Amino acid sequence: MIDNSELIWVVVAITFAAMMTGRFIARRFTVRLRPIRAYETLPVLAADAVESAKRVHFSLGDSALGSASTVTALVSAEIAYRMSERLAISRQLPLLTLTSPMTLPLAQDTLRRAYLYRRTMDYYRSSTAVWYPPGLAFAAGAASLSADLDADSNILLGRFGTNLALLGESALRHSQTVIAHSDLLEGQAVAFAQAREVLLGEELYAGPAYLGGTALERGSVLAQDVLRWLVILGIIAVALQAI
Amino acid sequence: MNNHRLLHFLSSLTVISVGVAMLVGLSSDWGTPAASFAAFVLRLVTVIAAVAVFVGVFNLLAVHLGRLARSERGWPYSLLALLTAAGVIALRILDRAEVWSGDLEGEQMSARAFEAVQVSLESALAGLLVFFLVYAAYRLMRRQVTIWSVLFTLAVLVALVGWIPLEETSALADARDWLVRVPVSAGARGILIGVGLGTVAAGVRVLTGQDRSIRG
Repeated sequence: MIDNSELIWVVVAITFAAMMTGRFIARRFTVRLRPIRAYETLPVLAADAVESAKRVHFSLGDSALGSASTVTALVSAEIAYRMSERLAISRQLPLLTLTSPMTLPLAQDTLRRAYLYRRTMDYYRSSTAVWYPPGLAFAAGAASLSADLDADSNILLGRFGTNLALLGESALRHSQTVIAHSDLLEGQAVAFAQAREVLLGEELYAGPAYLGGTALERGSVLAQDVLRWLVILGIIAVALQAI
Repeated sequence: MNNHRLLHFLSSLTVISVGVAMLVGLSSDWGTPAASFAAFVLRLVTVIAAVAVFVGVFNLLAVHLGRLARSERGWPYSLLALLTAAGVIALRILDRAEVWSGDLEGEQMSARAFEAVQVSLESALAGLLVFFLVYAAYRLMRRQVTIWSVLFTLAVLVALVGWIPLEETSALADARDWLVRVPVSAGARGILIGVGLGTVAAGVRVLTGQDRSIRG
């Protein structure tokens, strides 16, 4: 019988092997990822925001470093970075809201790196990464700030509960585009109903691969697929055993 | 350029070594050096998290002070936020100093203010969520009628009508129970497994030092 710690190492080893194989394949062959409309829309939103000199509101929600949603926070921040790279030619800084004070330095650094990359550090202000207390206070605060700043679109990626409905409702009232994801089921349901484009479940984690990703990032999408098929086969095997 | 490369190398090295050490520590038996190291790092994170709350509050105050100073749109709300923050901090200090007398003796006024304002406001907003969701379902159908939006709207209708405590709707209550037990449960598990797999794949990417967010 495999205990939990052994299982963790087995999963990490399989993922690492699949990722490296994926990287090898992505370097030598053209890997075509299946189209995800949200990732096709994101660059268009960035271009629109730059052209119309408007701001884009990113939110990491409750995803936080040092908690169960650490990886979600890192991936969401990476997607925000890829978008901010495109927005950093404009004086209209993106707004980044979150509820975890531990994640605030990551949010500030995400924007700083984008402006450093574009050599437009004169435009950068750390105060565009904004912390709010969690819960509905966050939704109310972030929604009103996004509306006051006349943001062009709201890209809500990370961990959200039903409070996402408040953010979405406010965005739709102000004719702002919403792209949303949540790693919580209730937030995911709200995102499906309200967002123009929604990212479902694991699609968030494939984000860096879709937004100008490296061979390893595209390889990690392959690793996700390998793991998914292993889980499916595992479920079928257990079900057959039970019959 | 060399300094930048050195910084990348050092940050990647730190992430990989601490990540692997934590993984080893968390999967080791209690009391072993690896487990003690992991416990020590977790305690360190807890302390940093406590300090980070101050940073968060400071950031919030700085943002609203900036908006007030630049008279940006909605500045009265920023003023209100600042005054409220100052008021709650003052109340907390007075609570700690135990200055209240008479009927208020021994009372925690900051906790009372929180209960009276924050909790009731959050409850009221939570009550509105169901209307937002129903309206969102209506808007979803107006925007684009697909098989998925129809399914979503039907599920919302069955769930809402199924809650009505009337004999005539008992069939819908059964349908709602089946909906929750079978397709909703299966779909929820599917999404959660997907999130888990994505987390593992992205986590390994971080552990191998390939995630750019850890670099300077």
